[in-house]
Amino acid sequence: MIAPCILLIAGVTLLPRCAYAQAPDNAFRVDTLKRLSLEELMNVEVTSVSKRPEKLKAAASAIQVITQEDIRQSGATSVPEALRLAPNLQVAQVNASQWAISARGFSNVLANKLLVLIDGRVVYTPMYAGVFWDVQNLVLEDIDRIEVISGPGGTLWGANAVNGVINIITKNSKDTQGLFAEAAVGSKLRGLGSLRYGGKLAKNLTYRVYGTAFKRGSTIYHPDSVETQDDWTIAQGGVRLDWAATEGDAVTFQTNLYNDRPNPDGNNPIVARGTNALARWAHSTSDKSNLQLQAYVDHTWRDFRNGFTEKLNTYDVEGQHRFRLGQRQEVIYGLGFRYMDHDVNNLELFAFEPARKSLYLFNVFLQDEIALVPERLRLTLGIKIEHNAYTAFQYQPNARLNWTPAPTQTVWAAVSRAVRNPARIDREFFLYLAPQLPFIAGSNFQSEEVLAYELGWRIQPQEGLSVSLATFYNVYDNIRSVEPGPAPLGIPITFGNGVKGHTHGAELSATYQLNGWWRLRGGYTYLEKNLKVKENSADANQGSAESNDPSHQVLLQSMMKLPARIELGTIFRYVGELPKPKVSEYVGLDIRLAWKLDQRIELNLVGQNLVKSSHTEFIPSSLVAKDIERSVYAKVVCRF
Amino acid sequence: MSFLRIGKYLKTGRLKINTWLILFAGLLSFGALAPPQVEPSKEYQVKAVFLYNFTQFIEWPPEAFAQPDAPLVIGILGPDPFGKYLDETVQGEKINGHPLVVQRFHTLGEITHCQILFVSTDEKNRWKQIFEFAKTKHVLTVGDVANFSKQGGMIRFFPEENKIRIRINLTSVKAADLKVSSKLLRLAEIVEP
Repeated sequence: MIAPCILLIAGVTLLPRCAYAQAPDNAFRVDTLKRLSLEELMNVEVTSVSKRPEKLKAAASAIQVITQEDIRQSGATSVPEALRLAPNLQVAQVNASQWAISARGFSNVLANKLLVLIDGRVVYTPMYAGVFWDVQNLVLEDIDRIEVISGPGGTLWGANAVNGVINIITKNSKDTQGLFAEAAVGSKLRGLGSLRYGGKLAKNLTYRVYGTAFKRGSTIYHPDSVETQDDWTIAQGGVRLDWAATEGDAVTFQTNLYNDRPNPDGNNPIVARGTNALARWAHSTSDKSNLQLQAYVDHTWRDFRNGFTEKLNTYDVEGQHRFRLGQRQEVIYGLGFRYMDHDVNNLELFAFEPARKSLYLFNVFLQDEIALVPERLRLTLGIKIEHNAYTAFQYQPNARLNWTPAPTQTVWAAVSRAVRNPARIDREFFLYLAPQLPFIAGSNFQSEEVLAYELGWRIQPQEGLSVSLATFYNVYDNIRSVEPGPAPLGIPITFGNGVKGHTHGAELSATYQLNGWWRLRGGYTYLEKNLKVKENSADANQGSAESNDPSHQVLLQSMMKLPARIELGTIFRYVGELPKPKVSEYVGLDIRLAWKLDQRIELNLVGQNLVKSSHTEFIPSSLVAKDIERSVYAKVVCRF
Repeated sequence: MSFLRIGKYLKTGRLKINTWLILFAGLLSFGALAPPQVEPSKEYQVKAVFLYNFTQFIEWPPEAFAQPDAPLVIGILGPDPFGKYLDETVQGEKINGHPLVVQRFHTLGEITHCQILFVSTDEKNRWKQIFEFAKTKHVLTVGDVANFSKQGGMIRFFPEENKIRIRINLTSVKAADLKVSSKLLRLAEIVEP
């Protein structure tokens, strides 16, 4: 008797939102919109949902986009956690503050085949050509979207875009007006607070100022579950100014500074500080032509607290011009120059020689997009020529073909070559057993190369559903190897280019807006690697040192807007076994429950990694495995 | 509302199938099985909610209302682009003791009591009279046609990058003795006359 009553009540209360479900363009529910603040209301996209995806549909590469809404409804609290939402990325947490992030394999704490940009600023250290993820922090609410391209970034992106590009784009300050405040506390996220205010200085001149800080608790040792003391705190602040000078001119200026205390080894916290500033001018004379100029300065400093410090000053200027050529061609060309002053304070037995090095990178690129058959078949040809301090000229050409048999379908194919230029660690790193007795010594390391063949298909079988499949076959050569020194001792060891091989795989992803209140997205990624040692090499690791990747990975994110102003978000992840060092497969489950009291205040309760009490995601070369524990946090968000 | 809809299914004799489908859908939280309904476009849904929001961010002089508990009327002059959505948005809402009410007008002459007037596209030729009327009767005029705010309309919706923005003609607003909150001003573009 009671059961049918409950069914009936459930049916009745759920009826109003069902009623909108099949409306022609996934209409909104009244209370969904009414609970939005004015600012949020202005950010609702009203023309067909597929405006941006339409652009994606046409793109001839494996691109995935994580939107602000996906991030907000995921309960992610850091940039790496938000990156877990890209089905085409491998994201593994190593300890409280370190992550191994890559695409299409070669994942490692020192992963070096991914190019990462935040608002057009390249964030990497030439020390190892990778990213210190612990200082890539943002107020997640201010992110507009994260574009993740797996596969060679091709012509338009720079060096290191061998296996992929992560492009994090924050909102225009015009879209972050008013006050935003968030405060969170939990079992692992010990505390997080952010405050942002956006205002208007003059007509068409807007700004935002923000400050954010958090403290995260330690991971535990595997398998004995003892606390590791690797807790992490950071404080960061910044300003962004946007000036829509005329209808065709937009000027952006932004600056950030941070003070970071990660403690990955759990003995003495590292001190990392940085400041950066960027200015950009975009000028469009018509919809047929636009010009963009950008310059930035980035200063980072890191004290490892054992005497070793790293100081890096990066200066970068670049420009690009896009224009229509005749009826069928769209040309884009550009040039850029980057100067990096890298300075380390060496230890007696651990040294980069010379300690200080000036590195420069000069590049020019040209791309032509030709409509072979208007609206149907497009051919894109491009080349990027780079000159770097170590291996002089490098050529990165690519050709892409894009066939659109129907407005809802695109088939694309691409062939591209990309390189990973030497980093300081490849050429100038020395590790001594005793003074004058090197165990590892510098070498004449050359650029790593990939020739990538890609085939992809994107389809929108019905309104609200889009499916994408990208397949690839990558041929690598000159991958880093560890070469033993001369007999009898076999030292010093040097880095060589002794590994080659191929990888192949597929990335299947989909987003499905079932109705006005329920959205699903997810994907499956498959990767197979086959690396071997070249004949002239004696690689000490038989080609396996550079990466530790799962063959299978699954992601499913569900976002529901329920009645009574409640949101329910669920993320399910499966990551297959890592071979060497072996890490067991695991299943991750995050659940976010949020309740909007009114337009201003939102309460969140989030559980992360709920399946097991703890699990390992990655074992670094130190072979000390640390486990990520199940955790919960509560968060209050205010928007005024 | 929900009960009304069930009543509708009863009449059409589809009750059994539909209720079960709906119950099932409810259980699965799977809305796609529900019956179709005609809805206004997303654009006008968002604009309807903006109109509702304006009631909270605009201050009317006391003489704009006959009594302290008189309704706050959101009027639509000319063809109605909102469908039922505007009614649903304001249903049961009150602002400072004034219940919100939606009224539809064919001509300016029909309007007796009105605080917000959405001027539809068709009224372009009568802007002058409308704006003059609005000024004396303390009516907030809202429109979405080009030049609406430049010609003396108070708030204009305009599209930008798939989103809806608003433009305010402060001179007209002040002339009608209305006050705009700073929050709304900060988010809007201000038009110089």
